[in-house]
Amino acid sequence: MVYRTCRARGAAAWLLLSLVVHLPAAAGQTVVKPRAQAAATEPAPADGLAEARLLQVYQLMGSGRSREALDLAEKIVRDHPNFQLAQLVYGDLLSTRMRPVKTLGDVSAAMAAAGAAPLGDLREESQKRFKAGLDRPRPGTIPSQFLEISQKTRHAIAVDASRSRLYLFENRPTGLTLVADYYTSVGKAGVSKTEQGDQRTPLGVYYITSHLNSKSLKDFYGSGALPLSYPNMLDAKRGKTGGGIWLHGTPPTHFSRAPLSTDGCLVMTNPDLDHIIHTVEIGSTPVVIAPQLRWVDAASVKSEGKPFQDVLQAWRSAKEAGSLDRTLAFYTPDFNSYGKTLAQWTSVLKTELSNGQGHGIEIKDLSFLRWTDSADTMVVTFGEVLLGKRTGWTKRQYWTRQSGQWKIFFEGTL
Amino acid sequence: MKHARSLVFSSLRLIAVVVGMACMSAHADDYSDVSQLVRAGKLPEALSRADQFLSNQPKDPQMRFIKGVIQRDSGKTAEAIATFTKLTEDYPELPEPYNNLAVMYAGQSQFDKARAALEMAIRTNPSYATAHENLGDIYAKLASQAYNKALQLDGSNQAVAPKLALIREIFSTNTAKTTHPVTTPASPPTSTAPATKAPATVVTPPVASVAPPKTTPAIAAAPVVTQSPAATPSKPLPTATVDSPGAKEVEAAVAKWATAWSARDVKAYLASYGKDFNPPGSMSRKTWEEERQVRIIGKSSISVKVDKLSVTVDGSHALAKFRQDYKAGGLAVSSHKILDFSKVGEHWLIVKETVGN
Repeated sequence: MVYRTCRARGAAAWLLLSLVVHLPAAAGQTVVKPRAQAAATEPAPADGLAEARLLQVYQLMGSGRSREALDLAEKIVRDHPNFQLAQLVYGDLLSTRMRPVKTLGDVSAAMAAAGAAPLGDLREESQKRFKAGLDRPRPGTIPSQFLEISQKTRHAIAVDASRSRLYLFENRPTGLTLVADYYTSVGKAGVSKTEQGDQRTPLGVYYITSHLNSKSLKDFYGSGALPLSYPNMLDAKRGKTGGGIWLHGTPPTHFSRAPLSTDGCLVMTNPDLDHIIHTVEIGSTPVVIAPQLRWVDAASVKSEGKPFQDVLQAWRSAKEAGSLDRTLAFYTPDFNSYGKTLAQWTSVLKTELSNGQGHGIEIKDLSFLRWTDSADTMVVTFGEVLLGKRTGWTKRQYWTRQSGQWKIFFEGTL
Repeated sequence: MKHARSLVFSSLRLIAVVVGMACMSAHADDYSDVSQLVRAGKLPEALSRADQFLSNQPKDPQMRFIKGVIQRDSGKTAEAIATFTKLTEDYPELPEPYNNLAVMYAGQSQFDKARAALEMAIRTNPSYATAHENLGDIYAKLASQAYNKALQLDGSNQAVAPKLALIREIFSTNTAKTTHPVTTPASPPTSTAPATKAPATVVTPPVASVAPPKTTPAIAAAPVVTQSPAATPSKPLPTATVDSPGAKEVEAAVAKWATAWSARDVKAYLASYGKDFNPPGSMSRKTWEEERQVRIIGKSSISVKVDKLSVTVDGSHALAKFRQDYKAGGLAVSSHKILDFSKVGEHWLIVKETVGN
């Protein structure tokens, strides 16, 4: 983003002037956020509100209403004294009363030297937040990974690391719908975690595994933590190490953190995280972390998933037919199931096939997410129930596409 | 009809203030007596004189204001705040109590409150230069605080509170006129005129100063008025004066003063003021000079332009009236200014500085 210098005396002259002017149109697309049920009982600031107000300040500045911008900025810093970016903007708006302000954080040379690192971080954060307000995902589009999400899964999350943005979807009968999005910080060294201590945020398809209450955590984690399933089966296969990748909040000293500032976790503001905590389902909410999200028409996703649906049905038919050879043909040589090799898995499969003989197999509540990097991976979750039985197993499979063929390299019950 | 009612109400209020101010001249001696006690450092005596006066005239804004200043000078900050706050409630039209309230708050590092008070002062009187200057200092302080929080610096190097200018007496346009002999209804030349009785001279650096009555003799008799429309200090227009050879010299003196101020040449600026010049309120000449120095050096740039200058000369006294366009940083204040000059040897020196609107 370009910070444009500006001359106008007294006018809120700095910052993205030409860009801000376009904001009203973009703001019109801002999605309506469903209030957390818990909001009724706790007076905590609503999620996303602080950022919405900050963007409103930018908008007022862009239209030369620096006085109103100052008043609003003052309210924000009163509500969130630890919102450093808002403090910076507030400082600029106060300075504007006295002198032209040429850049975001137009501080004295001495201050700029003493606070060079935070100043750079805040400018980055401003840029990320501002762009997020400007470039909204096209309505009716979803990230390309979400090929099929079962109605049993109520929500899904996708993170666009390049934008420092976390998107929350609600899975409605009409399909995945974006309901809110938030600023989020990632690893100091960026993304694509490969080993312990590399200060990177992992890329891939993960699930929220648990909820850690803030009472059991240090202040550092803010309003709580949602651990993620890193390393997943693909990561493990690739020999990635490390762990403890959480979605968590901020310490009392900081309302938000710099875009690249964590040891690999995803960090959100406390009000934003609170909303996520109250919304998601432990175990089933997928969290896709991508270097950059590709937004595709929700309608086209269905047809894109069809070929894989057919492959999965072929696997089901082979199993239903009780044919070990045909079934085994779907598994890769390096197959793994919680440490079991393909040979060990073969005997498990034999037992399963004999138990299931004469029964049909039903696949229920199917979800599959496609992860494409150097390889093409499908993360599949479903309920496998023998016809006539009341209960079955919830299974997860990882499929990989090798020379045009989808093969299973992991399978296990959840 | 709420609107109409409030209009009527505020008009009544204004009348009350004006009437109150008009009465001031009658109490001029009381005010100047108290002020002299303050200047002499006899604060308890000054306070008891003020209280004595207020027991008869409990509403009198000027004396209440002076009392607030005495309380402040005595270190009774809370009481001074109460006095000025009450004045803002009773006379919301007056900017001075807001200004001083802001000075109190700033002294307690309550910069948000100081800012709110100064913004009120400016709302009641948009060309109020002292409030503008004070507000500029407050904005700078608040900005610096916000920046320190933003960049997580401890800010201890910024801990010095801005030094805001306190007003020592209420000035009003009404009383200003009485100090303005030309507009005073004809009075006997020998009389010291209402002008001499008006104590409510401004004490507002840099735009005003207190001058004891004796320094304004009956200039009402001044015979000549020089009009130079759109004159600027750098190129004084030829005057139409016939029998006032001093007018040109006074114009040059005004230009020199404005140029020195613009150039932030404190030495030359202060040299424009005569020995007889009385610093505002109970301030000593030394304190005033120091304050002016801080105020002038502290600005990165200053521009003072003189417009619509008119000069009246009467022997060794002269009166220069003009519109002063003051700019410093982002601050721009245009105000009406009157400089009283006295000729000392070859030089015309300022003995009184008054601002009006």
